[in-house]
Amino acid sequence: MTLTQFAALNLRRNPLRTLLTVTGVAVAVVAFLMLRTVVWAYNVAAEAAVPDRMVTRHKVTFIMPLPKRYIDEVRATPGVKDATWASWWGGREPNHPTDFFATLAVDPDTYFRVTDEMVVDPADLQAWKEDRQGAIVGDMLAKKFGWKKGDTVRLESQFFDGLYEFHVTGFYTATRKTVDRQTFIFHWAYLNEKVPADARETIGWIVSRTDGNPTEIGRKVDAMFDVKDVQTISQDEATFNRSFLAGFSAILAAINVVSIVILLIMMMILGNTVAMGVRERTAEYGVLRAIGFLPRHVVTLVLSEAATLGLAGGALGLALAYPIVELGIGRFVEENLAGFFPYFRISEGNALAGFVLALCLAGVAAIIPAVQAGRLKVIEALRRIA
Amino acid sequence: MSSTPAEPLVRLRNIKKTFFRGKEPVRVLDGLSLDVPAGSFEALMGPSGSGKSTLLNLIAGLDRPTEGEVVVGNKTISAMSESELARWRADNVGFVFQSFNLIPVMTAEQNVELPLLLTKLSKSERLQRARTALKVVGLADRVDHYPRQLSGGQEQRVAIARAIVNDPRIIIADEPTGDLDRQSADDVLTLLGRLNTELGKTIFMVTHDPAAAERATTRRRLNKGVLE
Repeated sequence: MTLTQFAALNLRRNPLRTLLTVTGVAVAVVAFLMLRTVVWAYNVAAEAAVPDRMVTRHKVTFIMPLPKRYIDEVRATPGVKDATWASWWGGREPNHPTDFFATLAVDPDTYFRVTDEMVVDPADLQAWKEDRQGAIVGDMLAKKFGWKKGDTVRLESQFFDGLYEFHVTGFYTATRKTVDRQTFIFHWAYLNEKVPADARETIGWIVSRTDGNPTEIGRKVDAMFDVKDVQTISQDEATFNRSFLAGFSAILAAINVVSIVILLIMMMILGNTVAMGVRERTAEYGVLRAIGFLPRHVVTLVLSEAATLGLAGGALGLALAYPIVELGIGRFVEENLAGFFPYFRISEGNALAGFVLALCLAGVAAIIPAVQAGRLKVIEALRRIA
Repeated sequence: MSSTPAEPLVRLRNIKKTFFRGKEPVRVLDGLSLDVPAGSFEALMGPSGSGKSTLLNLIAGLDRPTEGEVVVGNKTISAMSESELARWRADNVGFVFQSFNLIPVMTAEQNVELPLLLTKLSKSERLQRARTALKVVGLADRVDHYPRQLSGGQEQRVAIARAIVNDPRIIIADEPTGDLDRQSADDVLTLLGRLNTELGKTIFMVTHDPAAAERATTRRRLNKGVLE
């Protein structure tokens, strides 16, 4: 037997209290991991950008369009190897108006060449290019709505009147997990011919592949359009993604605060349990001190007991969080909120943080009761026996 | 009465101990001096508040006198620091308490092993010594029993095994039969007597029970902090 084993044995004194405390810690760890996963999933899309890719948008705001003619000038800029464009259409399935998914009107000749993390069967891609009303659909979106190749799909837009008819010509998958596989992609030309005259010949943003220095090339592009009717801002893809997500920063900050509050609650649960145990065992600590245990042994005993609780709670929390996210919430979020969270899973970093924090905060929670137990006067503690 | 060895094991010189009740000083021991030879079985008696437990605590190195000197063997324990005293107690003193004070979540063997965690003995050596101690107290067949599975007398014998497992020179027994029935008390007193006569342990026992005190080789009576 060692002091650590002694500490672990102490947890068997009041099994119900130990069970409730470990469960409390586990629930806190699960809640912490959920919230951290929201923040992580939001950021992971930004961090998983392609380094040589550059995005050019309207200088004022992302939602204001650029003249379509800008694409030619961007393509002509030294350092730009390839460029394509896309427009946000705001489409939705009329029978499921609350089911959000992204709908992009793009240039069929170049879009999948520039965004090569999206993979389309070459034959399907060719068929799509040849069908003006063709659509390439993310495989998860197709699965969600039961769309098959050759189906005719009618969608409406939040911005333009009427129903638009599309032919599902193929599906795309992705080379990495952080790519949204629920986007509906169709010909920009089809959109351009149907929208009102004042909205024609405009595009949402330009995506370019560069020779490796998107920031420098972006400066040249922006300088070129500075003297034009519409000014632009060009950013490497990671910066663009981050600025796109910046609008949610207040929400993310709030989530971070809540996750810290959860940890504090967890710490108080542990601290209370340890303090109760110390109070009940004052006489026992007196006996230990009498037979030669030093204050540091008693402190170690109390801290080990708290650490064991934290360890058990952290492990149980992880054991619960993984199936909850992997088999439940994660799948649901990826299927229904892919535009925001294409990949909603517990990262190794967050799992480690949850576990280590449970362990460390257990130690912190036990510091005061441990020190009090260590400072106990032997005679006074033994008087409790009497 | 046993024969008195020439060299005293415990020497107390002009011991005074004062506690404070609020701001008011209360003198519990008043100039007490005492020589106790090695191998003695001492019974300390006296009314409540007479200073028995205080005297026991001073001899055990659990407390220090306000004035005076406590020497055990060749060590002046009254001059030791807290940590020195703790180490000294681990090597030299075994404790038996009225209410046994075993750890309820540990088996008899683990309870007895407890003081040995402070030594450098290997696990197998610790277990061997714990089993030997349990054998000495007649509980070799109860090593895996938890305190709740033992009778009061058996619990106190486990406590005695814990007190002797590190082979101390002194055993401090504070009302060791106070929570026991007569038969169990007799068994425990017989066991303490054997530890005294067969293993040469010096025993200090506080008791209110005259029958228990009769089993000691020396009986001392304290009254108002002074030995009568």
